[in-house]
Amino acid sequence: MKGSIFNIDAGYLEGLCRGFKCGILKQSDYLNLVQCETLEDLKLHLQGTDYGTFLANEPSPLAVSTIDDKLREKLVIEFQHIRNHSVEPMSTFLDFITYSYMIDNIILLITGTLHQRPISELIPKCHPLGSFEQMEAIHVAATPAELYNAVLVDTPLAPFFVDCISEQDLDEMNIEIIRNTLYKAYLEAFYDFCKNSIGGTTADVMCEILAFEADRRAIIITINSFGTELSKDDRAKLYPRCGKLNPDGLAALARADDYEQVKAVAEYYAEYSALFEGAGSNVGDKTLEDKFFEHEVSLNVMAFLQQFHFGVFYSYLKLKEQECRNIVWISECVAQKHRAKIDNYIPIF
Amino acid sequence: MGAMFRSEEMALCQLFIQPEAAYTSVSELGEAGTVQFRDLNPDVNAFQRKFVNEVRRCDEMERKLRYIEAEVHKDKVHVPAVKDMPRAPNPREIIDLEAHLEKTENEILELSHNAVNLKQNYLELTELKHVLEKTEAFFNAQEEIGMDSLTKSLISDETGQQAATRGRLGFVAGVVQRERVPAFERMLWRISRGNVFLRRAELDKPLEDPNTGNEIYKTVFVAFFQGEQLKSRIKKVCTGFHASLYPCPPSNTERQDMVKGVRTRLEDLNMVLNQTRDHRQRVLVSVAKELGSWSIMVRKMKAIYHTLNLFNMDVTQKCLIGECWVPTADLPNVQKALADGSNACGSSIPSFLNCIETDEEPPTFNRTNRFTRGFQNLIDSYGVASYRECNPALYTIITFPFLFAVMFGDLGHGAIMAMFGAWMVAKEVSLAAKKTNNEIWNIFFAGRYIILLMGCFSMYTGLVYNDIFSKSMNIFGSSWLVPYDNETMETNAALTLDPKDAYIDKPYFIGIDPVWQTADNKIIFLNSYKMKLSIIFGVVHMIFGVCMSVVNYNFFKRRYSIVLEFLPQIVFLCLLFLYMVFMMFYKWVAYSTLSEDQAYSQGCAPSVLILFINMMLFSSNEPEAGCKEFMFEGQGSVQRVFVLVALCCIPVMLLGKPLYLLMASKKKKEAKPEQANGSVNQGIEMQQTDIENGQNGEAKPAKAGGHDHEDEPFSEIMIHQAIHTIEYVLSTISHTASYLRLWALSLAHAELSEVLWNMVLTFGLKDHGYVGAVKLYVAFMFWALFTLAILVMMEGLSAFLHTLRLHWVEFMSKFYSGLGYIFQPFCFKTILENDDKEE
Repeated sequence: MKGSIFNIDAGYLEGLCRGFKCGILKQSDYLNLVQCETLEDLKLHLQGTDYGTFLANEPSPLAVSTIDDKLREKLVIEFQHIRNHSVEPMSTFLDFITYSYMIDNIILLITGTLHQRPISELIPKCHPLGSFEQMEAIHVAATPAELYNAVLVDTPLAPFFVDCISEQDLDEMNIEIIRNTLYKAYLEAFYDFCKNSIGGTTADVMCEILAFEADRRAIIITINSFGTELSKDDRAKLYPRCGKLNPDGLAALARADDYEQVKAVAEYYAEYSALFEGAGSNVGDKTLEDKFFEHEVSLNVMAFLQQFHFGVFYSYLKLKEQECRNIVWISECVAQKHRAKIDNYIPIF
Repeated sequence: MGAMFRSEEMALCQLFIQPEAAYTSVSELGEAGTVQFRDLNPDVNAFQRKFVNEVRRCDEMERKLRYIEAEVHKDKVHVPAVKDMPRAPNPREIIDLEAHLEKTENEILELSHNAVNLKQNYLELTELKHVLEKTEAFFNAQEEIGMDSLTKSLISDETGQQAATRGRLGFVAGVVQRERVPAFERMLWRISRGNVFLRRAELDKPLEDPNTGNEIYKTVFVAFFQGEQLKSRIKKVCTGFHASLYPCPPSNTERQDMVKGVRTRLEDLNMVLNQTRDHRQRVLVSVAKELGSWSIMVRKMKAIYHTLNLFNMDVTQKCLIGECWVPTADLPNVQKALADGSNACGSSIPSFLNCIETDEEPPTFNRTNRFTRGFQNLIDSYGVASYRECNPALYTIITFPFLFAVMFGDLGHGAIMAMFGAWMVAKEVSLAAKKTNNEIWNIFFAGRYIILLMGCFSMYTGLVYNDIFSKSMNIFGSSWLVPYDNETMETNAALTLDPKDAYIDKPYFIGIDPVWQTADNKIIFLNSYKMKLSIIFGVVHMIFGVCMSVVNYNFFKRRYSIVLEFLPQIVFLCLLFLYMVFMMFYKWVAYSTLSEDQAYSQGCAPSVLILFINMMLFSSNEPEAGCKEFMFEGQGSVQRVFVLVALCCIPVMLLGKPLYLLMASKKKKEAKPEQANGSVNQGIEMQQTDIENGQNGEAKPAKAGGHDHEDEPFSEIMIHQAIHTIEYVLSTISHTASYLRLWALSLAHAELSEVLWNMVLTFGLKDHGYVGAVKLYVAFMFWALFTLAILVMMEGLSAFLHTLRLHWVEFMSKFYSGLGYIFQPFCFKTILENDDKEE
């Protein structure tokens, strides 16, 4: 039933999104891109793709940062176009997507101010999708409680932040904890929203992706926590509890002491063990992070196999972000004449 | 018109050009616009081609031009249209142009930069002025309260102390964007736990954003607070919300001094701003004059380098090799362009043009003029003719408007359409100069000659149908008399006119007799007439189409098809359907009310349709008393023979060609071994072809060869032929029936226009006097509106589409394959036009 009335509100946008998706670079495009000698070549080749003339008004010589900015700008324009045309419940869904960028921005700004950087220098680095009105005044806050009371209480992030108020002051460690607590609350809320408020195909697709995202965070948090002063109890509190690892896997992760133990936990889960299998730190091997990215890409590509759900918007954004990372990676390699690792991009189609 | 019958002969040519002459030569070829280049490096990346740096330079110049253009548009400077097209600049001029553009861009950049700085200054000063003026009111109010409390302090010491602390209140004043005020206020409240007092006043006039020139609305605020710590936090919030803070002295006199100072500075700044604006205007106006020709020059250059990228470099790096399709008739022009090109750069070695043999299908090129272009487009939108296939566009010029007119027959409506077409044709030049992006108008304008002809033909058929806005004209006097006396006429509502008494036996001079306009059985009569008419036109049109296939078979040297395909097809069509047409004519001629013979008199005329069905089914109907079943003696046996012969044609169609091809290929196989043994002569010939193949070996992609029946296996040929045969046999019936749409649409059109007259205009014609005048005025308005909108526009469109279908499906399917691809010459004119359209 939901599928049959889906198109009334979201049919146009889904079509638009699928159209945008067709513009994602193919393997053949990447093969051409890695052959580029200079960034000008890259620009010329991108002109032949869906990117069209997005760099045409940039004076040469090009910088990688300009390419990055322009890529992001194009994506943001597309996303905002979709957001502006959406209605409930899709608009809330799309807002949920932007919350993760808000979290990133807040953390970026706090860390920046902690290191005495002027706020005007930090603002351009923030992701435009995650900007909110009070963002630039964030440096008035010196403690998490102040941050909550003065800045975040009016933003949609407020409910996620409640757990962090207890932290005493903002130092590097606490910021990291705040980030992860925020993310945990956000992921769980998003998961719950997809599953219970929207349901249907959207829930099928999104829960799969979000569960992976939650598990990835849990694993990464565990691995990164080795050798820091983070206690195991504190660590366990940071795990998002909406993934497939919940509850047994997370409990096992909470007890883990080194990389091998994490790997052993992952052994119990078919899809994750495969990721750990292929990953290594030797030259030529792919890092675990890349493996995770690859898996994420495949999940997102799979989202397009079903119709009448909101997952395509999330997936499109994520795929496009991966593409931006790829292009920027290739551009960096080209610009620095460091061709040995140029093939380390993650192809999408 | 011979040129229109077939597409032009094309030759594949190789160009050998000296690298230094390449640019000028290609430029000349672009001006001439008669060659289509082929990509010789299809698997080379866009950025690995030879002239990619030059293309990039052009891109850069285009970017600069776009920037300059945007600036020119921003200041609303008029860009004059380019009168005479500049040629592509030669390489030396390119450098000049580049330098010039660079200089202009920098100049404009600097100007804008200065302007932005000045405007920024101006903005700040205006904001300061507003802050000072608006805060005046706040402070005045505050002082009043202060005065109150001071007077109170005389009464009580406590309040005096309070006043003293209040006196130490600090404040900041500034300007913030209006839409951010609520959040700003809330934030201030939050960070100070409600200890900040904010006064604000909105600025009525929008300010100008120095960077974008957009209008921004701002609000002046003054925030009062206590304590240094709070001050720093408030300042942080202010920077966070992009509020600009301004110094604002607390005392009244200082403020007034400051306002004065600011005002004078503002005036000075205004003067400077005006001067810069004037200067900028002058610069932009002078640039705008050149802008058009510059952009054309750059686009031409870019096109040339793109074309050069299709070329191949000779092994010795001494010359560029290009391949192109050229219409044979234009070869001298190309030679001349090449010669001009090498002369222009003073190259001593001329460029060569070398025609090469190829078995690749050349592109189809029909040279059109503005009259034939519309009709050619109608055909091309179905499918571009195969190379040198006969081109139905030639016949379409007449048959299209004619078949349209059969459906649209009305003198009045036709005249409206013809006038519209004639207006567009007469104003052609001035209308074409006005380039619009209105698609509907562009479609009409592109089809102006079609519309004109359709209108004229509709006027003619309207005359034949004797239909003008659903009324008839009695110009030549009706051939019918009224044989009744007045009394009979007054007493009877309806009377029958018997042709024996009422008809003068001399038909109306042209078209339908106007007497039918008043007859009750008008529709029955017209239906029978138009139905037959459409079948007659249809059968003739189809037979013509089938005959056209002979021309193709003959030209493509497939003579066997004439006997094995054309002959059975035409016999089948003629024996069945042309015979039916014959029966119609025979019935018209032979049967008459005035006839002496009972069998050929009124009431005995047999239905052609029933006769035809009986003929196909070999059955018969019992005729009425005194009548005969058949129209003439021996018709029954003739019909039987016809049907049997027609049926015999089907197996010939089905098996003839496949069997012939099978036999031919067998013969060839037998002959082949001999060839392999080969005499000396053949060996040499083969060697020659080998050399030729070697020359253009690279040029031949795998697709060469195309569909040659000889390569196909027998089963496939058989299946194709079976499909063709079934399609043809069925289509003779369905297509003939399809032509009945001529009658149906014509009927619908006539009926609709009659309804409109009776229901709308008659309403206004009933009354007399002033009331009648007003009613007629209104009724005519609606009638005219509906006539134009429904009858001319909508019905015209529908008749147009049906005519298109009759041509594409019923006519062209008989002979047209339409598998070619269109010739797209490298031509500056079309490139520039396309660019303009995109913009």
